[in-house]
Amino acid sequence: MFQIHRVSDSEIRLVGHFDASHQATAAEVFDSIKESCSVRFDELDYVSSAGLSVLLYTQQRLSKDGGALKLTGMNPHVRLVFEYAGFDQIFKIE
Amino acid sequence: MERTFSRSLDSLGDIVSFLKGAADTLSLDEKTRFAVNMAVEELFTNMIKYGKGGDDSIEVGLEKENSRLIIRLVDPNSEPFDLTDLQAVDTSAPLEERRPGGLGIHLVKCLMDEVRYEYKNRVTRIRLVKNI
Repeated sequence: MFQIHRVSDSEIRLVGHFDASHQATAAEVFDSIKESCSVRFDELDYVSSAGLSVLLYTQQRLSKDGGALKLTGMNPHVRLVFEYAGFDQIFKIE
Repeated sequence: MERTFSRSLDSLGDIVSFLKGAADTLSLDEKTRFAVNMAVEELFTNMIKYGKGGDDSIEVGLEKENSRLIIRLVDPNSEPFDLTDLQAVDTSAPLEERRPGGLGIHLVKCLMDEVRYEYKNRVTRIRLVKNI
């Protein structure tokens, strides 16, 4: 089960298990972001490399206009995946 | 424990259920469950994307040998794709130079203690070991 909620113009909430089968659904929401945005991970159990790629593309697009994603509330397993990928160096994680 | 899954991203939900059942049976801790789940999902997705196989299902198996967890994925009809021979991902590159390609396999290598690839007669066999 995976859900993505656009809480507001500046906040997205991820819920459940974010794998390759949900990449297109998530990309559609992230593609609609036009400026800096907070992404809540506190209800997300899992993210695969497909999920990471959606976040990477969004971060690269936003950075061209000085924007960025801020990622909050990751569980330790997800946080470790970000560290293995070196994504802790290119995202603000709180 | 083993099971076959049809060659589709729609199988990922069934794979998660299968791995949960296997992890319960083998009494795996949370950290190992997460690692196994990620490794199998990444490799299965890779087999669908790059294996260019036919309609044959992909087999996933798990077994415990003392303090080692052995994970196997078998694609019975595939093109060669040696994941152990891929260029390393640069995890320290600046944002604008990052590319998502190879990230899944990189994560598998980080999470597992051994990754072995074998290809013979169109059959791809991947064997992972996780020390537990």
